[in-house]
Amino acid sequence: MEENLNRHSKISAADLERLSKEAKGEATPSSAKIIWSEFKADKPAMAALIIIIVFILFVMIASLFINTPKMMETDIMNYNSAPGTNGFLLGADTGGRSIGQQLIVGARNSIGIAIGLTVISSTFGICWGLISGYFNGYIDWGMQRVYDFMMMLPMTMMIIVLVTIIKDYNAVTLTLIFSIFYWEGTSRLIRSRTLSESEKDYVAAAKTSGTSNFKIIFKEIMPNISSLIIVDTTLSFAENIGVETGLSYLGFGLPMQTPSLGTLIANANDPNNITQYWWTWLPAALLIIILCLSISYVGQVVRRSADASQRHGIDA
Amino acid sequence: MSLIEIKDLKVHYPIRSGFWNRVTDSVKAVDGISFDIEAGETYGLVGESGSGKSTTGKSVVGLEKVTSGSIMYKGKDITKKSNRKSLDYNHDVQMIFQDSLSSLNPRKRIEDIIAEPLRNFEHLSKDEEKLRVLQLLDIVGLDADALYKYPHQFSGGQRQRIGVARAVATNPKLIIADEPVSALDLSVQAQVLNFMKKIQREFGISYLFISHDLGVVRHMCNNIAIMNNGRLVEIGTREDIYNHPMHIYTKRLLAAIPETNVSRRAEHRANRLKVEEVYREQQDKYYDKDGLAYPLVQITPTHSVALPEDLAEQLKHEGEVQA
Repeated sequence: MEENLNRHSKISAADLERLSKEAKGEATPSSAKIIWSEFKADKPAMAALIIIIVFILFVMIASLFINTPKMMETDIMNYNSAPGTNGFLLGADTGGRSIGQQLIVGARNSIGIAIGLTVISSTFGICWGLISGYFNGYIDWGMQRVYDFMMMLPMTMMIIVLVTIIKDYNAVTLTLIFSIFYWEGTSRLIRSRTLSESEKDYVAAAKTSGTSNFKIIFKEIMPNISSLIIVDTTLSFAENIGVETGLSYLGFGLPMQTPSLGTLIANANDPNNITQYWWTWLPAALLIIILCLSISYVGQVVRRSADASQRHGIDA
Repeated sequence: MSLIEIKDLKVHYPIRSGFWNRVTDSVKAVDGISFDIEAGETYGLVGESGSGKSTTGKSVVGLEKVTSGSIMYKGKDITKKSNRKSLDYNHDVQMIFQDSLSSLNPRKRIEDIIAEPLRNFEHLSKDEEKLRVLQLLDIVGLDADALYKYPHQFSGGQRQRIGVARAVATNPKLIIADEPVSALDLSVQAQVLNFMKKIQREFGISYLFISHDLGVVRHMCNNIAIMNNGRLVEIGTREDIYNHPMHIYTKRLLAAIPETNVSRRAEHRANRLKVEEVYREQQDKYYDKDGLAYPLVQITPTHSVALPEDLAEQLKHEGEVQA
C-alpha cells in the first residue's frame, strides 16, 4: 500500500509538517471553544455559571473552617435570634444554632450528595441504555426486564425502608441508596436514542473498519447523543438536589446532626417559623431556587453549543 | 479461482405474529443467489428498490447475518464470524455507503474518520498515519485543509469522496459500493465515478457495484447481474445485458433508461409503452406461480437467464437465428 500511495500521490513525508500546519489553520474550533463563545453570547447564562462556580467553591472551602459538632450544639440563650443580633448574620434557629453556618455546611452536604448521585446514577443509566440499545435482541430484552422490575418498586417507600434498616447511615450510604433507584429514567431515554443511532450508516462503517463493539458504543455513538446526555445530566442534577432535600424535609434524609438544605427547609414545618421566624427557612429555599435555575441556564447553553443550528455565539 | 464466490446465498427475515409472537413466515430478502467476483473487475448488481441488492452487498461485507449459503474468500466461508476474524476480512473487503452524510460520524474529524480502518488493521506511528491520510485525501482530490474539519462542512460529492478514501485506506481487494452516487446530482456523479475508476486502475481493486441506474452501471461494470425479488433473473457481460436482454424484467429496466434525444421523444415513449405492454401480457410466462423468478439457465458461456426450460430453448434458438 505504501509504495502504491507514494507512486500515485504527490504528497511525501517532506510535506507533512507544512501541510499539517496548513490544516491546523483551517481547523474547525474545538468544542470547548464553541461552548465558551456560546457563554459569552448569553449574559444570563454567564452570570449563572459564575454563580454556580463561586458558590460551590465558597461552600466547599468555607465549610472546612466550620466545626460542625460545635455548630450543632443547642444554645438556648440564642433561641430564634433575629438576623444581625448576637453576632448571627442570618439569625439562629429554635436550637440557637447559626443559620448562616448551617447553610454553608448544609449546602455542601446537599450539593455533594447531588453531585455524587448524578455521577453514579447517570453513568450507570447511560451505560445501561447504550449497551441495551446497541446490542438489541436478547441482551436488550433481558436488560429491559430488569429495568421494568426496578420501575415497579415504589421508590420513595423503598428508600425510607432502607434508611430505617441501615444503622448509622451517612451522606455516602445515602447517596448509594439513592443511586439504586435514580438511573432508570436516564437509561430509557438513552436506550431509545441509541436504538435509532445504531441503525445509522456510520455505525456500519465503523464495523466494517474493524472497530470493536465497545469502542463503537463509547467512541462513536456516545459523542453523537452527547447533547441529550448533557441536558439529561444537568436536569437530573437540579432534580437530585431536590431529591435529598425532599427526603430530609420528610425526616428520612440525612440524620438530624448533619445539616442539609432539606433539614433547614424542614424548619418551615412549624407554623410559627413560617409566620414569625422566616430567617430559619427562607435562605435555604431561595438558595435552592437560584441554584436550580442557574444549573438549567448552564445546561441550555451547553445543549445549544452541541447543536450547530441553535447556536447564538459567533463561531471563532 | 475467483476472488469471491457466492453460493446459494439466502437472507430471510422472520415475521412474528400472533399471541405468542412466534415466527409465522419470513421475508425472503435474498433467496438463493450465486455469482462470482473476479479480481480487478467491477461487478454490477442491478435491480429495483427492495430487490435485495443492498442486503446482498451487506452480507458480502459481513454486516448482515446470512440464513444459509456460503460466501467463499481465500477458501474460507466468511459468513462465519470466526472466519472473518481470522482472515482480517474487512482489511481486504470494505464498503462505500449510499448516504455519504450518515456514513461519516458527524462528531469526528476527517482525519479520524479516514484513519479509523488504519488504526484497527495497520498499526502505524502518528506521523506515518497522518501522511497516509493526507495522501489518500490527495488521491480523491481534496486539500490538506480537510484534515481537521467535520463532515457537515463538505458538499455531497466531497463527502462521498471522503467515503471512498476511507474505503481505500487499507488497500482492500474488494469494495462493496452500495449505490455510491444515487444521492448525488449528475455532474458530481460523474466526478465520483471517475475517481472510483481511477482508484481501481491504480490499486487493482474489484468493485461490487450496486445500483438501480443502468446508465451508471454501463459506464462502470464489465459483468452485470440483474436482481428481482431476491433472485437473479439475468447474468451476463455488459454486451449480453445491453444488447441481447432475454428476460422481460431486464428489457423493462433497459426501457426505463431516460433518453436525452428530444426529437425522437414520441418514438421512445411508444417503445416504453410497448415493452410495458409485453411485460403485462407475458409476465406469468417468465415467473413461476408464486411470482418469483425461475432458476438460471445458461444461454451462452457468459450469459444466463432465469427462464423455464422450454422458453429458454425457444429463445436460445431465436437468438441463434438472429445471429
